[in-house]
Formats: sequence, structure tokens, C-alpha cells
Amino acid sequence: MPDIRFLVEMVKGVPVVAAPEEIDITNAGELRRALLESAAYGSGTLVVDLTRTQFCDTAGLHALVGARKRAQAEGGDMLLVTPGAGVLRIFAITGLDQVFPSFTTLGEALAHIPGGAGGASRDDIARHDVGADGDER
Amino acid sequence: MTAQVEPTSIEARLRAIQSITDAALSRLDDHELLIEILDRIREILRADTVAVLLLDFSAGQLIATAAAGLEEEVRQGVRIPVGRGFAGRIAAEHRPVILDRVDHTTVLNPILLAKGIQSMMGVPMVARGRVTGVMHVGSLTPRQFTGHDVELLQLAADRAAAAVQSMAAHADRVAVEALQRSLIPSALPAAARAEMAGRYVPGSGVVGGDWYDAFTLPSGELCVVMGDVAGSGLPAAVIMGRMRSALRAYALESPDPAEVLRRLDRKMQHFEPDALATVLYAVFDPALDQVRICMAGHFPPVIALPAQPAELASIATGLMIGVSPDAPRRVTTLPIPAGALLCFYTDGLIERPGQLIDDGLERLRRVVVAQSPEVACAEVMGELVGSEPARDDIALLIIRRRPD
Repeated sequence: MPDIRFLVEMVKGVPVVAAPEEIDITNAGELRRALLESAAYGSGTLVVDLTRTQFCDTAGLHALVGARKRAQAEGGDMLLVTPGAGVLRIFAITGLDQVFPSFTTLGEALAHIPGGAGGASRDDIARHDVGADGDER
Repeated sequence: MTAQVEPTSIEARLRAIQSITDAALSRLDDHELLIEILDRIREILRADTVAVLLLDFSAGQLIATAAAGLEEEVRQGVRIPVGRGFAGRIAAEHRPVILDRVDHTTVLNPILLAKGIQSMMGVPMVARGRVTGVMHVGSLTPRQFTGHDVELLQLAADRAAAAVQSMAAHADRVAVEALQRSLIPSALPAAARAEMAGRYVPGSGVVGGDWYDAFTLPSGELCVVMGDVAGSGLPAAVIMGRMRSALRAYALESPDPAEVLRRLDRKMQHFEPDALATVLYAVFDPALDQVRICMAGHFPPVIALPAQPAELASIATGLMIGVSPDAPRRVTTLPIPAGALLCFYTDGLIERPGQLIDDGLERLRRVVVAQSPEVACAEVMGELVGSEPARDDIALLIIRRRPD
């Protein structure tokens, strides 16, 4: 099993997970676990940055939907930074564009978190690598 | 006191061992082997009865499965709790037991007493370090079973345990295959005004989360369903089976495609909260001159009018199944001229890594032509799949209103 890592940045107390270029059956499971683990760093709310993501199949959607449901169940939420055109298309067809709170920049996403970081300032960043098993490295 | 060993008894013992380990036994199938071993051990040990009880692990009971001279045990479905009675002790303690005297204090099974068995000996059957059953022999006259007798019985029990293990594994495989086959899309119905053809290629194994379904309602309407459950392999297929069945039930209850998908969504969210799927549900009028389609996160069909380039049908989108309760659902009605063809599919057909969705859709659009659905299926699969192994499940269903 390859050691898949997803970069998680803490931006003013909110975990921001960078999603990979392709989300499919080979990494969707690990991404879901990483999202669930990251939610624990903040106050239950996290941001998934999909700006690099060009491809996302139903396995990837399953991971995103599942992670958001869990975040909401714990009183938080999961916000998205807009993916590329290809993935936006998938969101439109699946109707998820009406369901996921989605923003064009990280700054806007953070501004929508109640009591959280406003603006895009990255002065206060701690970088973590979250491995597939959730352990910090 | 030294035991006197007669040469003939060693020979006899060797012959007995050979009888049980005989290579010729390997030519029998597992069931025949079990019966043969029982007969041979009864003969070798000069016993009146022999029986095999197999362990039902989850129930913690031994079940009488095969016997010679004691068929009543099997026919009456005798079950002995592990730890109790003669066979139960053997299974619990994982070691042989000899009973010089059989009575209600030493055995639980009334059949043994009714038969008049006076002495018994039993050994555990073990496969891969775990007790899988018990084999025992009995004598109608009082008798003292020896250590040698126990060794011979254990040898026979080991052989029988291997045969039983093999039979169980085979039974499991047969059951799984039957289940998988039951989940593959069923045959397409014959319809007076429509021609249909389909393709189903799972990404791995025998069946996955994609499906198509087509059936007629008592009203004469023809329903077509395309679906894609997130996930792969048998687990996704099991969820798919439930969705397919539920949708058929709701289709019978409501003439409104939006209501059918709403009920399906509610059912899935309640009973399978982690499940996620795209579904397309289409209801064709009996004359096949129009179709009402409701989509839940699925790709729209490609429609080709006779002698015209195909297009992606313009249908109102809707939320995937399994995301959020009470999502709004809309129905789009499409007119279908005579000779027109519709191509329904799942995303495995048009998605390729490193390729935009729109490229795959365009390739599909260009290859679909209003013609015989069977020919159209072959051309679609040839152009979009070719010789690449499918990464994801592919389901394809093509339907044409017969030309006038």
C-alpha cells in the first residue's frame, strides 16, 4: 500500500486539506480518512482545496460526501475551494454544486467560517503532513 | 509388566493404517470420501457404530452429519452443545475421550442409550488448528478401547476433517457465485414498439455497483433504469441489488418518476446512510412516442433522430441519491419520433484518466447513430472501450422506437 500523504495547512486555526489532481478509487479511501482526521485539528470545520483537482469520479465524490456528513454530525462543516472546470462539471451533473458550500478562493472560504479566520493571511501557518493512517509526520 | 506384542498385530495395524491413508481414496469426491472413511474405520476397529458430527461455530453446537450403524442421529438432526455430553466434551477439550461405560451420566444423546451402546471412543476433527467436528465409534458389547484404537481413529478423523473443509469451501464458492449471478442485469423485456440491447462489463469480478434495468408496468408503460452505486465489487453490488429492487417496487406504486426517485432516496438514506449513487429513471409511454425522465446525479442520454447527428439530451439535473433529504426532483418530457434511438450509459463508459469528461461525451455522441440497437451497442463499445480493460464498471442500454 503506497504511503499517500495529503498536505494539511492550519490557516488561523482552520485545517485546509489540499486535494490531489485526481481523486479516484486508488486514493479516495485515504482522502476520506485524511479529511476526517483533519476535522479534529480545528473545531470540526475544515476546508478542502480542490484548485489542483482535474478529475474526480464517484469514489472521490463518495469520500467528499461522507467526510462532509461526518463534519456536520460533529457540529462543523466542510467547505470547498472551487475545483477546475472538469470537476465543476461533475458537481453540476450530480447536483453537488447546490449542496457543497463552494468558494473561488481560500480567502472567501475562510471568511465564511463562523468565528474563524477572515482573509487570506498566511502569517499564522503551521504545516502538517497527514499520512493515510492519520498520524502526523 | 512388559506387553507382549504379537507380530500379526503389528501387521494388522499397518494394514489398517494403509486402509485409511490409501491413495485411492483421493480419487473419490469429498462426500464419497467421507462415507468411505466411515465404513473403513468401522471395519478396522470392529465397531458397531461410527458417526461424524460437525461444528456449527456460531451456534456452538455439534450437528450429526454422517453415520454408519447410527443413522438415526443424522436423520433426527441431533445437535449437541459444545462442552456438554460426550461429543461436546471432546470438542470443548480438544482431545480424545474413551467411555468404558455408557449411561445417562456420561452421554447426553438419548439415541446412543436407546441403541444399547455399551462403550464409546471419540476424537476431535481438526483443520488448520481449529476443531471442526467430532468422530466417534461405539460398541454394542462392553469393550476397552486402547491407545492404538485412538490413534487409528484420529488418523481417520484427520482425513475426514480435510474432506469436510474442502466441501465447505466449495459450498461457499457455489453460494457466492449464485448470489453474484443473481445481481447481474436481467434479460431485457420484449416490447411491441421498441428494440433494445444492452452491455454490462464490471470493472472487476462478476458484478459491481452499476446496473441497468428495463421492465413494463401494468399500464403498458416501459421503464428504463440506469444506476451507479459508488464503490466497487460485491459490496457495491449488494447495495445495488437493494436499490434495484426498491426502485421496481416504487415504480409499481407511483406514475410520477420524481416521486419514485424521492422514495428511493428516502429509503436509502434511512437504511443505508453511507450509500451514494447516481440513478436515471425513464418512463416511456406505451406508444413509445414520448419519455419522461428524472435524473439523480446521472449523465443524460444521447439521443439520435433518424439521419441526424446525435445530441446529448437536455434533461433537468437532480441531486445524487444518498446526499440530502427532500432534494427537489424534476421530470423532463422528451418527444420520440419513429426510428429515434436513445443511448443510456454509466460514467465508466466515458471517463478516462487524464481525459476531460466532455471529450468522452463527444466521442460517444459522434458514434451513436439511429440504427439497430444491437449494432449501436457494438459500435459504442468498440469506439469507447476498444481493447482497454475497464477500470470502472460499464453499463450501457440502447433503445429505439421502431421505424414506421
